[in-house]
Amino acid sequence: MSLVQVENLKVEYKVYEGWLKVLNGVNISVGKGEKVGIIGESACGKTTTVKSMLRLLASNGRITQGKVTYQGDNVLEMSHGELTNLRRKKVSMIFQDPSAALNPVFTIKEQMYDIIRISADERLSTSQVHERAAGYLKQAALPEPDRILDSYPFQLSGGMKQRVNIAFALISANELLVADEPGTSLDVTIEDQIMRLLKEIVDKRGLSIILISHALGTVKNFVDRVYVMYAGTIVEEGPTTRVFNDPRHPYTRMLIDSIPKLTGGGVPEGILGQVPSYLTPPNGCRFVTRCPYRMPVCDGAMPALYSTAAGQAAACYLYDDKYGAKK
Amino acid sequence: MSEPILSAHNLTRYFQTNKGVIKAVEAVDFEMKEGEVFGIVGESGSGKTTVGNMIIGIYPPTSGTLTYKGADLTRSASRRSKELKRDIQMVFQNPASSLNPKRTVRQAIEVPLKVHETDIPIEQRVNELLELVELPLEFAERYPGELGGGEKQLVSIARALGTNPSLLVLDEPTSALDVSIQAKMINVLLRLKERLSLSYIFITHNLSLMRNVADRVMIMYLGKVREIAPTEEFFRNPLHPYTKMLLSSIPVITDVEERAKPQRIVSTGEITGALNIPPGCSFHPRCPFAFDVCPRTDPPLLEIEKDHWVDCHLYPNDYKKTQSA
Repeated sequence: MSLVQVENLKVEYKVYEGWLKVLNGVNISVGKGEKVGIIGESACGKTTTVKSMLRLLASNGRITQGKVTYQGDNVLEMSHGELTNLRRKKVSMIFQDPSAALNPVFTIKEQMYDIIRISADERLSTSQVHERAAGYLKQAALPEPDRILDSYPFQLSGGMKQRVNIAFALISANELLVADEPGTSLDVTIEDQIMRLLKEIVDKRGLSIILISHALGTVKNFVDRVYVMYAGTIVEEGPTTRVFNDPRHPYTRMLIDSIPKLTGGGVPEGILGQVPSYLTPPNGCRFVTRCPYRMPVCDGAMPALYSTAAGQAAACYLYDDKYGAKK
Repeated sequence: MSEPILSAHNLTRYFQTNKGVIKAVEAVDFEMKEGEVFGIVGESGSGKTTVGNMIIGIYPPTSGTLTYKGADLTRSASRRSKELKRDIQMVFQNPASSLNPKRTVRQAIEVPLKVHETDIPIEQRVNELLELVELPLEFAERYPGELGGGEKQLVSIARALGTNPSLLVLDEPTSALDVSIQAKMINVLLRLKERLSLSYIFITHNLSLMRNVADRVMIMYLGKVREIAPTEEFFRNPLHPYTKMLLSSIPVITDVEERAKPQRIVSTGEITGALNIPPGCSFHPRCPFAFDVCPRTDPPLLEIEKDHWVDCHLYPNDYKKTQSA
């Protein structure tokens, strides 16, 4: 049984002009101990998906349809107490910008002690709290925990701040860790360190992880299974190596081709056109405006996920026997 | 490609702050040839943008020389001749903040045309520029808010081209864009370069992109040049340990790329602040090959293969002899 299951999730955001129809029927499942990646370009709904899973949507967002279950319990119908329990004991999230995720006016100690106390089942003495805090910081490969604890966020470098965030997340991530672009705002050598650290922690604790990133290489080296999102829809899913070596959805192919290669070979043409507006998204496949294989049927209704290989599926009419000439 | 058009010698820029002196750029030497795409790579705090800012004249260097086609660039833009200002233009990283949201595309592109008067009617020139960057003419009356990120960046490029420059300083021109958009942008830039015989200073932290765009690459670390080499050579035979560490840290998507990486150097440590630069070679605290002399003296930049310069104690003058021995 999967740990988390997202079924047919639809999310909208209210803006001045109307409702942005962002997520349009997203399905995701994460097994116990599984590493899952969500890739896609900015504003494709990656973050909205995981935020809805934890009910952390901004106040102008609403879930119009769908179901999120965590170990069989419907997260969207949980009471405040149940939700708090989920967030304190089972699931934790690491955000993209390590500076924004820490409160600038409190020391790391003040912030961390609070989280440890609130997540603990029993009353802890200060020395116990301190011991745990130092332990978590050590797991996040931070030397000199005492110095870190006494620091304000601005006294730490970007890489150290992200390690502190990882340490915070470890306090309550006993089952699932959601990492939203954990290395994106860092330099490449530091990102490499952070990703290695995360992998080590996840493996050691047997956690499930949802890793979100627009950096395809980062995701490829980390996860077992990957979902590709475009404009609020899942366009392809499958085992990581399959999706990267043999992408089937036109968007996935074009996205992978767009990345300049370290081995050279020139810069590809990229994907022409723009992501459609969420105010008036296409009725059918949302990639239709940029797709070179556009067929009349694509404008009609959203394509379902068609299985293309073991565990791999693409939401594209090319793989429907009725329309798809090209396989 | 012939004589260098841009040359920097001992280029240095310090910033005085109330915490001390920040040595943003220290004794940087490089030359750039006409028609070249000269890449400057480095992590945040390496001084790459400071070099770009001195070329464009946002501030003058603290010391050292900087010349462009014989003209002195050690004065800030306000004290440069109009011709020189026309000749060198810049495109900034974030198109959303480098365009005024309350001005239409036409108004944005018009500004440099009004400052640097030409014979061509302004309206006609705006249309020409939009055509050059492959944007539809109706975009002229739109506001930046109505454009996508890639389109906004194309407008910034059109604006920079307004004065008919011969050198463009591109400071992370695609970092704020998605990869599918980035690809198009780079292609437009490369086409423009051929069509208008431009030279580019291309500043980025993205080495994969650099591999496909630059003719030569210069790598900076804490304000100093660590390695300069033609792109092919730079990626085939990286010499400086820092270059190797950077290259092995890049997450790639194909096995071919993975194999093309140099001997893996596991990334350790962090870049220190420019306020307290380590003595000797500033990379030594992170360098797996550091030995006794590294913390003591800063190595000189040596040309150890043709056009391949490196700044590291591992490569003494007789490197070639040891290689062939």
